[in-house]
Amino acid sequence: MWQVYIKELLELSRDRKTLMFVILLPILIFPVIFGLIALVAANVTASKQAEEHRYVIIHAERAPAFAEKLFYHKNFKQVSTELTEPEALRQAVRDGKFDLAVVIPADFDASSPTLAQSQWTVIYNTAPVLDLVGNYLKDLVKDYSRQLQLARLEAVGITGDQVDAVLEPVKINKISSAENREDLGEKLGGWIAYLLVPLCFMGCSYPAIDIGAGEKERGTLETLLICPISRTNLVLGKFMTVLTTGLATALITVLSFGGWGYLIGSLAGVDVIAKAMAALGLTDLLLILAMLIPLTMIFASVLLSLSIYARSFKEAQNYIGPMSILVFVPLALALLPGVELTWKTALIPMTNISLCIKELVKGTIDMGILSLVIASTVVLAGVLIAVCVHWFQREKVLFR
Amino acid sequence: MIEIRQLAKAFALEKGQKLSEAELQDVRYTGRSFCSVRDVSFSCARGEVLGLLGPNGAGKTTTLRMLSTALKPDAGSILLGNEDVLKDPVLARRKIGFLSSSTGLYGRLTAFENVAYFARLHGMSELALRQRIDELFTMLDMHSFASRRAELMSSGMKQKTAIARAVVHSPALVVLDEPTTGLDIMTTQTVLDFIRGLKAAGTPVIFSTHHLDEVSSLCDRVVVINQGISAFDDSLSAFSNLSSNGDLREAFMTVIKGEAKSCGKSI
Repeated sequence: MWQVYIKELLELSRDRKTLMFVILLPILIFPVIFGLIALVAANVTASKQAEEHRYVIIHAERAPAFAEKLFYHKNFKQVSTELTEPEALRQAVRDGKFDLAVVIPADFDASSPTLAQSQWTVIYNTAPVLDLVGNYLKDLVKDYSRQLQLARLEAVGITGDQVDAVLEPVKINKISSAENREDLGEKLGGWIAYLLVPLCFMGCSYPAIDIGAGEKERGTLETLLICPISRTNLVLGKFMTVLTTGLATALITVLSFGGWGYLIGSLAGVDVIAKAMAALGLTDLLLILAMLIPLTMIFASVLLSLSIYARSFKEAQNYIGPMSILVFVPLALALLPGVELTWKTALIPMTNISLCIKELVKGTIDMGILSLVIASTVVLAGVLIAVCVHWFQREKVLFR
Repeated sequence: MIEIRQLAKAFALEKGQKLSEAELQDVRYTGRSFCSVRDVSFSCARGEVLGLLGPNGAGKTTTLRMLSTALKPDAGSILLGNEDVLKDPVLARRKIGFLSSSTGLYGRLTAFENVAYFARLHGMSELALRQRIDELFTMLDMHSFASRRAELMSSGMKQKTAIARAVVHSPALVVLDEPTTGLDIMTTQTVLDFIRGLKAAGTPVIFSTHHLDEVSSLCDRVVVINQGISAFDDSLSAFSNLSSNGDLREAFMTVIKGEAKSCGKSI
């Protein structure tokens, strides 16, 4: 078995694709995720924030204070138009003649003592996810409304200090009982598994295809089958190889995650990541790795079984391709609101690992449930290894 | 000596597998299975070279695969010396050297590493395997590409490496499936000389081929398999006598057409 294992590792170590999946990808994926996306997002936000939006305001004379606020806002530039009807203004916005139209009713009177709410219309493209125009307007209107509120209440004898008590008699100050770590874990924990688990799967998939279906395709399997070594030892040697590459990916991933997280969090000053990394200790990282071991065993046995069944490299890829998407289903389940780690969810493969990692990051892991998760994953891995070994004994599978 | 008696092997057809017109007329297709080998018997004594002939799809490769223990027969027996190959295939594999029709080398391993890997699987010590590999590489003129990866070798280099790998453990029986297919004249000559060397050393060699000139220059016995049955099993001279002028091609056609059947044991 060990001869097979050593040879497979030697051969895989000379394969660029394996090196890419097992070493390069896990090392690079985190800086890409942490750094590049943050950088791109920051640049996009900065450029959006620097954008100047052309606006028209209809009946500006009815609300001069508001018109002035809009005029002096650094992101708005007034243009003129003859249009007044909302539909025509909407079309003009669509045609790119200007970006925003604010329609103040012709009968609006800021100093009117009547207590009637005025309905204003704003027309702009609300589709972009980053709705900066909407945010700017919201702030301006809020500010202007506050100004009107104060004026109207003062007119009926309520002083500025009493305004808050009238408008908001009860104000809640939230003090969270959750520690910073728990809060962060809830937000980030599920996503860590979402990154780690597929990488382990990827670390197993290419070597499994190469030493299963690939060996069949190259004609080396037949030669191997007539060596004085039992088929059980043969498949276990192969299984160990796939497991090693999967675990190497997991280990490199965890180290890369820790290393890059520390670098980007501490040195580059990304606050959220720095806090998350400070919350995670070495024990937590080791426990995450410990959970990934039986999970990788499951991947290794399933992938090797599929690969051995396939006639060719391509056929194996056809089986394994959809599986790489299926892996995300139980992980996504763990991200759903309200799905918690319980004695029941501890028995759902992959979802349990994902939930466990989340609890570990939060620092609220129940050691009893953690043991159950590891035990149930080990048992499942054992069963699947047995199936894989049995599969490898069948001529129908080996000589399809 | 190896003795094969009444070997048979059937394969289940895949669900929905459509059979061609020719396959429908082949008696070996029965219901949902294909009986690749129905009744094959022959023997090969020490120092003999046995040529296994037959049209494509006749059952030669399946027979050789059963002989090498890669496949388990449905019926029949294989005796290597006094040992039942089917009872303890792992033990039997130590005594059989098999070269499949594809070279079956690991592309990312060098010639030396390919041969050494199989030597280790056969339980050879590092010292013994190095000595044996050196000996084989000299015999097959392989030293010049010993450290070249298989993926960068020519067909001839690959075939030599595959042969060295098949015999690295000094097997008691050598089985070669079309060892000279696709090789140039020089490499073919090296391979044929190597087979002669095995014969001279008393190792029985069974090899399947479509090259009748190789049969005439190397073989002591000829077995023709047709439609899963050993249709001819006799000496080379008996095979040659099937034609009026000693033409082996004509003799082969005579057997395939069912006009001759011999199971003599004379040489």
